[in-house]
Amino acid sequence: MDMETIRELQAYGYAFFTVFLAVILYAYIYHLYKSEKNGRRDYEKYARMALDDEITDSPVEKIEPEYQEKDKEERLNELAK
Amino acid sequence: MQSSNVINYDYTIAKYFAIATIVFGIIGMSVGVLIAFQMAFPELNNLAGEYGTFGRLRPLHTDAVAFGFTLSGIWATWYYVGQRVLKVSLAESPFLMFMAKLHFWLYIVGVAAVVVSLLMGITTSKEYAEFEWPIDIAIVLVWVIWGIGLFGLIGIRREKTLYISIWYYIAAFLGVAMLYLFNNMEVPTYFVAGMGKWYHSVSMYAGSNDAMVQWWYGHNAVAFVFTVPIIAMIYYFLPKESGQPVFSYKLSLLSFWGLMFVYLWAGGHHLLYSTVPDWVQTMGSLFSIILILPSWGSAINMLLTMKGEWGQIKENPLIKFYVLASTFYMLSTIEGPIQAIKSVNALAHFTDWIPGHVHDGTLGWVGFMIIGALFHMAPRMYKREIYSKKLIEIQFWIQTTGIVFYFTSMWIAGITQGMMWRATDQYGNLAYSFIDTVTVLHPYYTLRAVGGALYLLGVFMWAYNMYKTMTASKAIEFEPQNASPMAA
Amino acid sequence: MFHWLEKNPFFFAVGVFLVIAYAGIVTVLPDFMESARPLKGTKPYTVLQLAGRHVYIKDSCNACHSQMIRPFKSETDRYGKYSMSGEYAYDRPFLWGSKRTGPDLMRVGNYRTTNWHEIHMYKPSSMVPGSIMPSYKHMFTNTADIETAYAEAYTVKSVFNVPYDEEDMPKLGTWEEAQKTAIAEAQLIVDDMKDPQVKEAFARGEIKEIVAIIAYLNSLQ
Repeated sequence: MDMETIRELQAYGYAFFTVFLAVILYAYIYHLYKSEKNGRRDYEKYARMALDDEITDSPVEKIEPEYQEKDKEERLNELAK
Repeated sequence: MQSSNVINYDYTIAKYFAIATIVFGIIGMSVGVLIAFQMAFPELNNLAGEYGTFGRLRPLHTDAVAFGFTLSGIWATWYYVGQRVLKVSLAESPFLMFMAKLHFWLYIVGVAAVVVSLLMGITTSKEYAEFEWPIDIAIVLVWVIWGIGLFGLIGIRREKTLYISIWYYIAAFLGVAMLYLFNNMEVPTYFVAGMGKWYHSVSMYAGSNDAMVQWWYGHNAVAFVFTVPIIAMIYYFLPKESGQPVFSYKLSLLSFWGLMFVYLWAGGHHLLYSTVPDWVQTMGSLFSIILILPSWGSAINMLLTMKGEWGQIKENPLIKFYVLASTFYMLSTIEGPIQAIKSVNALAHFTDWIPGHVHDGTLGWVGFMIIGALFHMAPRMYKREIYSKKLIEIQFWIQTTGIVFYFTSMWIAGITQGMMWRATDQYGNLAYSFIDTVTVLHPYYTLRAVGGALYLLGVFMWAYNMYKTMTASKAIEFEPQNASPMAA
Repeated sequence: MFHWLEKNPFFFAVGVFLVIAYAGIVTVLPDFMESARPLKGTKPYTVLQLAGRHVYIKDSCNACHSQMIRPFKSETDRYGKYSMSGEYAYDRPFLWGSKRTGPDLMRVGNYRTTNWHEIHMYKPSSMVPGSIMPSYKHMFTNTADIETAYAEAYTVKSVFNVPYDEEDMPKLGTWEEAQKTAIAEAQLIVDDMKDPQVKEAFARGEIKEIVAIIAYLNSLQ
């Protein structure tokens, strides 16, 4: 591969990924506000993790097997939308 | 695992690293003050023969504060914050405990090797990557061990979602690993030629390529040592100490991804008007300006966290440290992009304005954040109240004065120097010889050294206060929820 | 999808890594393949110059001196022709520096002599009143490490195909030959020097650091 081709690929790679990541970023912003609005997930509650951080405090979201199952379902739902 | 009510957080390793932070802070900053005075009074170069010259001590200063003081501080807080926001104790896993201890001791051996080798003049000359290959291997090992500990602790966590601080610690781990490996690609000459010094090596890259890789590293070492993990700290310590949840958790997530993406492009701004390709320079300049957005996103988020609670800044000296730290973070992240504009850079590059800018960030942001974080941790780790609130107050004002001396003198020095280098007389000839531009800086160098000395004085006060807290302060019954207890 | 990422440390880490690695892949990586092409007339360092370069690095001269002349009139007037990428083709590592506490040294060989360097290194303020540069007296007593310099030259020749021993290029040869060449080269420098101890040591076959670093500085043109 000569330098010319590499430079060309580089330019395409740069342009494509920048657009791609910009789209992802805006999709993420949309996701953050949308999921809060329709009550699916309140992101702000995670801020409590720093405040209620005693080992005896109950976690904001516990790791439990059935919980993970529920999460999986939710994920599928999300993908289906 | 289920009987969580009898488990306590284990701060053994956090305590080790906290002490290392203080010790390396004193060493690194003392060397810094010495070399600052050397620039004003060059006779001070002769104190210890070849081992006391500016050239030998300058890398020792930068590496001792970056990889001694700051890294220790980062790890002290990691072994504290990590457990707490994941709600899991190190004591629950003997394996992770062992890794953490190994991490600490191997790191100490590495730092000792660095100090000795830099004094001996064993260096690769690349800034913040001066270490020869045997030390590089040790550093990689330390990093891998930390990585195992980091992901291991995350693996046994009780809290399902990772708090934003953990994101930043993970990013710091990954970022430094990638940068360090690629920048230190070198060939040990002894193994090829079979002669010469066994520890000597030669860079895999030459000339402009070497410069490009080095500043891709150098700039982002700043990102992933001086910025990312420090943000991890402030996202934990400011809310915890003030009792206020982060102003907007969503903004913190967005700033995270913004910072991750944008920071790495900006390295080119160290090479403006040099011989690397023009488009790399332009890209570096452009992205440096974009970088204001995610940086200020985090900083403003921190300041707004204090919304309606500004009274605390008067009552609680630790809040003072955190708020001033985020203010200095804002200052240096606007100053940096200004210096990265090509026409400004033409004046500022190679001058004292650059170290001035670096110290806005390191003294104001990194230093204050680490000092404040360790003060917050002390009562919880040692089960005693902080020895003296008054001492913290005095320390705060002495250090703030020191920083102001530092950056004002370096701004003036840098711009004076830059203007004098390019000044011409009426016939278009250079107006000043180089030495004119050096001697004129004497008062500013003196003022800067005094500023640094004030900051160092503050560090000694901090060390004393911490020592007294560990040994002689009043014991406390239970851990305070928010504001750290301190004796007047 | 996003929330799933936030709870799965492994994939989260992969995501972060992709985002941070991306800039390097686009800006830095492609240039690795294109090794910097030397300008016509640019030659690799001789063993003695390389030993001097090691002294320069050992005492971190690059902490205060740059080797990068930017394309401004004020710089070309002061230091000479602006720097070109090809001139650095044999610089491993690059020594551009990031701070000019002292002047640029990219072309210092054009306007300073052996004699000037000798006096200046011993006591900078005697040549430049007001100079804040430390004196480097230990360079007059420490012996230069020719062996490591040879090892490095040999390494870059065999690993990176640096054109030693080619037509119009510096000779490297075997270690014995290289030693002879280095001594012959050092002889020219020592002849121009005044310090009796350096001369005495040279008569014994020792090349002091000061000789090597002057050879290096004189080669910067």
